[in-house]
Amino acid sequence: MKLAFEVFAWVFFAAVVGLLSVWPRYDTIEKDHAMVTVTFSHAANRIGECRTLTQEELNQLPPNMREPSECPRERHPVRIELRSDDAVLYREVLAPSGIWSDGKANVYRRIVVPARTHDLFVGMNDSGDEDGFDFEGSRRIDIAPGRNVVVRFDEQLQKFSIQ
Amino acid sequence: MIERVHSIGRSVFALLQKPLSRAFDSEQNPLNYLGALTIYFCWIVLISGIWLLIFFRTSVTAAFGSVEYLTHEQWYLGGVMRSLHRYASDAAIIMILLHVVKEFVYNRYRLNRWFNWVTGIPLVWMIFPLGITGYWLVWDELAQYVAISSAELLDSIPIFTDSMAGNFMSDDLLSDRFFTLMAFLHLIGLPIFLVFGIWLHVFRLNGPRINPPRRMMAAALLAMLVLSFVYPAISHEQANLATAPQALRLDWYYLHVYPLIQRWSPGWVWTLLVGISVLLTIAPWAPPARKTTTAVVDLDNCNGCKRCVDDCPFGAVEMVPRTDGSNYTHQASVDDDLCISCGICVGACPTATPFRSRSALIPGIDLPNRSAADIRQDIIDQAASAAAEPRVMVFGCRDAQQTVSFRRAGANVVTVRCMAHLQPTFLDFTLSREHADGVLLLGCKDGNCNYRLGAEFTEARIARERDPRLRKRTDTSKIAIGWLTPWSDISDPVKVLDAFSASLPKKEDEA
Repeated sequence: MKLAFEVFAWVFFAAVVGLLSVWPRYDTIEKDHAMVTVTFSHAANRIGECRTLTQEELNQLPPNMREPSECPRERHPVRIELRSDDAVLYREVLAPSGIWSDGKANVYRRIVVPARTHDLFVGMNDSGDEDGFDFEGSRRIDIAPGRNVVVRFDEQLQKFSIQ
Repeated sequence: MIERVHSIGRSVFALLQKPLSRAFDSEQNPLNYLGALTIYFCWIVLISGIWLLIFFRTSVTAAFGSVEYLTHEQWYLGGVMRSLHRYASDAAIIMILLHVVKEFVYNRYRLNRWFNWVTGIPLVWMIFPLGITGYWLVWDELAQYVAISSAELLDSIPIFTDSMAGNFMSDDLLSDRFFTLMAFLHLIGLPIFLVFGIWLHVFRLNGPRINPPRRMMAAALLAMLVLSFVYPAISHEQANLATAPQALRLDWYYLHVYPLIQRWSPGWVWTLLVGISVLLTIAPWAPPARKTTTAVVDLDNCNGCKRCVDDCPFGAVEMVPRTDGSNYTHQASVDDDLCISCGICVGACPTATPFRSRSALIPGIDLPNRSAADIRQDIIDQAASAAAEPRVMVFGCRDAQQTVSFRRAGANVVTVRCMAHLQPTFLDFTLSREHADGVLLLGCKDGNCNYRLGAEFTEARIARERDPRLRKRTDTSKIAIGWLTPWSDISDPVKVLDAFSASLPKKEDEA
């Protein structure tokens, strides 16, 4: 009898292990939905203009540190906005990375959208202006259920791609 | 407040213990080997993992195919090994959870036991990434979800200049090197730290239980094997970064926080995880803190026999060169930071005998708050008040619930810190000096002993298998151990006393 209880206890334990190992299922997005992922790293403009040093100022510097111009390290935040059919899907002001705020601003954001045709627009401002965008991209795209559309900024071409 | 939580937790554990005690003897009860079972399941994970590694291909394009080969083409071995690898990992999480809860509710994490508790927390932080990186390596849709969500979680820490999640823009841009890093972490990096962490977790303990009994190991392995055959682990569809994974069979043991990353934010998930860890870390010092006095060595009575060193479950006693000019070469020395006042060293000391008549009862090592002399006086006082025949003297461990119920039932109870605190000559003293006709010992068996080894040492000493042994002249039929059947099965103290009294030899028989 004790052996039967022991067998039952181990079977029960194995069942608990197996059950929570796969159940309940988790729906990351609903069936008739899709994902738009905004992802890029971008270094915004510096907060001030670079200044050319005078010869006198250069002479005061050690020879190995005589850079002709002096630039502030800190960069502007990057303002990003994603719209679908003029409705804002995502809007954020991204701080530059690094303890001196001189690095790239990074974004990775997944946005769940209904699966249908979308007029997507993405805009980015990296010059510190409060209005308007320095870079824009748009595309009319048919998004199937379960699809992942990636919105990224190509640093070489200096333009957005939506695909 | 916290004591109330402990009390409720102990009641819940008792509910769990009850049905399990019908299935297992206490030596075979998994609840008494939670730490050891965790390590054992890690062994299964390691061995099954070595087999998987032989066939696994560490690249983004080939990983999924190699796991599929193991799962389907080589189902009879590779597939079983994969399932064992997964289910043993899951079982280890259950064991860890129960282990943490049990140590907490039985108050085995405070005072000088903080070290074992605190060193266990990094182990939990290591075992979860170990499991998570394992799911990553399969590179199916679940791996895709785990990889991206993990990257988002890490990106939220403001120390990285580039976005890790940005690596998962498309299949073309995903680098093999990044994948190799995960494989390194899962196969080498984290396991090495885990082994070191386990060593650190137990190294202060004297004779830690690393392995469960063989029968239990066989049963656990069999259970995991049966599960592996009946419900083998399989993959989702291959990862495809152009799609968003939808319905996933999450392993809730390892991946339970992932839905929170999506629903809350990575920052809040970090707050939750770090917050829980900080609370657990400071828990040993949370009020009410009651530091008890530690064992004290009396050099006039210490002959350096080393038995206290051998028996201390927490390694708190060591032998050091003699400081009093005595002819003995060594003396016992107590580390106050490690001693938790269980008194097991006193129970091991040959000088802690109550038969002394010419000198005061001062053993080589003793507890100031519950000295051997106090216990002897208690026996004498209790005997004087005993009325019923035959007279039964109950020795009860302070922490045993039974001790409280026997005292409430009006039995003559002498309380000790742990049953192994009682040196066996006290039993001889009680019976031979006719302070009682029978002796009943109440303690906490095996994994329930707050001082780890109390029950084991007590049984061995009374069975005359461990020093100090019960004297040969002592009639063991007059001694009952309350955690062994039949006595432990009777919940009513009065019935136990009646049953035990009835089992004692009648005085006229002895005459």
